[in-house]
Amino acid sequence: MNLKSLSKTLIFTVLIAFCFSASAQNSGTVQDSENQPIDNVSVFIADQNILLKTNKLGEFFFESKLPNNTYLNFYKNGYVSKLVKYKEGSEFKVFLKKLHVALDEVGVVESYSELGNTKLTNIDKKSLENVFLRDNSMVESITQLSGVDIVSSGLGIQKVVVRGLSGMRVVTYLNGMQINNQQWANDHGIGFTDLGLGEVELIKGASALKYGSEAIGGLLFFKDSPFVSNKKMNGYVASKFDNSSYLSSSQFGLNWNKNNFFFNLYGQYSISSDYRLPNNDYLFNSRFNQNAIKFSVAHRYKNLQNIFRYQYHNENPGIPAHAHVDPADINIVDITSSSFDFNDAYKLLTPYQLVNNQLFNYNLNYLSNNLKLSLHLGHFINNLQEYEKWTRPAFDLTISNTQITPNIRYKIKDLTFNIGSQLSVLDNKNNEDERLVPDASTLNVGPYVILDYEKNNFGFNSGIRYDYKHLKSEDNILNINYDNEFSNTSFSSGIYYKFLDNVLRFTYSGSYRAPHFSELFSDGVHHGTNRYELGNENLDIEYADQFEFKYQWANEHFGFVLNPFLQNISDFISIVPTDTFISSYRVYNYKQYNNVEIKGVEMNLHYHPHQLHNLHIEQSYTFLQTKNKDDQYGLALVPANSIKTKLLFDLNDYERLVKYKFDYLSFYHVYKFSKENFAEYEELTESYNLINFQLGLKLNNKLLCTIGINNLLNKEYSPHTSRIRGVAGGVPNPGRSFNINLKYEF
Amino acid sequence: MKNFSLLSVLMIAVFGFMTSCSSSDDCHECHIALFDADGQETAEVEIGEFCGDALEDVENAGYQLTEMLVADNGDTLQPGLYTDVHCEEHADHDH
Repeated sequence: MNLKSLSKTLIFTVLIAFCFSASAQNSGTVQDSENQPIDNVSVFIADQNILLKTNKLGEFFFESKLPNNTYLNFYKNGYVSKLVKYKEGSEFKVFLKKLHVALDEVGVVESYSELGNTKLTNIDKKSLENVFLRDNSMVESITQLSGVDIVSSGLGIQKVVVRGLSGMRVVTYLNGMQINNQQWANDHGIGFTDLGLGEVELIKGASALKYGSEAIGGLLFFKDSPFVSNKKMNGYVASKFDNSSYLSSSQFGLNWNKNNFFFNLYGQYSISSDYRLPNNDYLFNSRFNQNAIKFSVAHRYKNLQNIFRYQYHNENPGIPAHAHVDPADINIVDITSSSFDFNDAYKLLTPYQLVNNQLFNYNLNYLSNNLKLSLHLGHFINNLQEYEKWTRPAFDLTISNTQITPNIRYKIKDLTFNIGSQLSVLDNKNNEDERLVPDASTLNVGPYVILDYEKNNFGFNSGIRYDYKHLKSEDNILNINYDNEFSNTSFSSGIYYKFLDNVLRFTYSGSYRAPHFSELFSDGVHHGTNRYELGNENLDIEYADQFEFKYQWANEHFGFVLNPFLQNISDFISIVPTDTFISSYRVYNYKQYNNVEIKGVEMNLHYHPHQLHNLHIEQSYTFLQTKNKDDQYGLALVPANSIKTKLLFDLNDYERLVKYKFDYLSFYHVYKFSKENFAEYEELTESYNLINFQLGLKLNNKLLCTIGINNLLNKEYSPHTSRIRGVAGGVPNPGRSFNINLKYEF
Repeated sequence: MKNFSLLSVLMIAVFGFMTSCSSSDDCHECHIALFDADGQETAEVEIGEFCGDALEDVENAGYQLTEMLVADNGDTLQPGLYTDVHCEEHADHDH
């Protein structure tokens, strides 16, 4: 062989080697323990929010090279999910272990979380992909988690309660942006639906340092469904109907990508009339309608990723149980209707709210080996008008919030650092002279450092955050001239240890919450709550300390979680009734309690019987006790203790049933204990059982259907945390109802 | 092309939903509300249906009663301006 031939051979070999290495870096395979390929495995590129699927050969491909240490989450029903850190150069092969049971995993599930390391921090997750098909609403779906409950008056207005705390103390994030939508009041809902959402992560208590210190009760982090890397456009259309309130709701979603450009589009329209009580009367004005549209655009270029999201949400809920007398003196006959007229059933009636939310989100991510730089810019605009008269609102508020969050994540061996800051500028403006809360603005700055250490079966994390808040209010109509600063430091620390199948975790967090301008300066009628609300300018910062322990054990059939906790909150701000009336409304004052204690225990059992692999049984227990140390009473709006049980029976093993398109059967049972520890002005709430039933059908590969019955026993009950528990002795929740839901995926 | 046509149809449908607005009727039955010393509403005196500008006037400025009226609870209303006017609809209960 001469020199020329040798050179050609060498060049050819190098080229082949380059091509081979290039294709190895842009693809991978997923196999089981017998080296058989697994198809349809979801491959989630966590740092880029992109979802791939493996093909029939178990292969997956990504458009361009992944940076080193990119997290990829591999999961498929029937297999143990895996979180892998990508390493370039070598062949990318992932092995998934088949589960002993086909349904789902029992025990600690490895997955990526926006809120932190799921081993070191107590993070709960819930998929929201099928909420529209399987649940009444997104908020009701989340209440299936232990320690989580709901404040509501039907489907129109719903808020989340975490370990007895809600409102300002449960902070909500949507795609990295804090949602400020006048959440200080119980009649102001969450501000968005499940449209386009993929998952929610929840930290109970104050351990979510990266996202602010004010989340004393907890932090809910909602995330959109990921971008899908697929050769063709895909999407869905879905529709639902419920005969309790003649609810009709429709959604659509589209996902499209070309090379490194991704686009998601979603839309929703819902309309609902008054809901039917167990005695077949209808709760007058519990109706609502909602529209929403959202789109997201993402682009990857080498190590850079840009994501832009826009969301518009409009909702118009009626405010039921409204009267110009003390709510306790209202006769239920006066707030319910015995007849239903389709011509009038959906019309807006006073009092009602007009709510418009717009959310702009921009994310810039740069990934390189051990470093991730991210910058989040968000702008949220909420306009809330509350109408008691037809021709002018009782108040018309626009709140706009701009947030900038840079973050650096850096890994050195077993240590991960997160260093960042949050800058938030908020402006609250009245658009009418009549007002309940004043014009006000706040500036928040919160730098933080969080350290995670994880090696083998041991880990710890520790974080510190300093928050500075400047609150200013100049309002000539309410005669307010206020300028104050609040600052403090928050901590969070945790230890994790895994021994065989046992996992132990202990965390401590200390945080603070500055008073909100609604708590300081409210002065007016709030029709949504039937109150005259008076603020207190002398309120000071709340301080909270939480200790939490978590033990988990699992094998292939059985999983057990035990989670006791204790939280102390000093200078706890609350709103309490007085014996005074203004304009026919009872006056409620904001006041501060020296010390409040919240303690409890949550337990979860998860079981797949060996004799019946297609049966899934999940049970959660929540026991909560609150104590106001200033007096002998408990706190207001704290949920009763509960046991929640879910049975899911997969019917796909039975040929005859599959022939008739049956997919699964599910029963959901809630037992609520009587609530005997409550605030001074509340009443005892009796115990009750609630059963929901659902039949899932797979009409074909693309068309899914569910048929459900809610409140199967037509039980008449009014939850302790119902917004209208104190009205007419307790207005009941909906009676038995039927629903049918369809989803077509293409 | 087929995908874009589908997308266009869906977007038009979406915007159709978005621009459909829920509006209330322009006319509503109104009443004067009477209160006791504790500020609790004790009686209502119907004053008829109001629409458009008249509705706005009666809600904002009040109702000018031109003759004496006796309410259901026996209270007498003298002629004059009454500002506690409510025009909300009530639940309809047959039994």
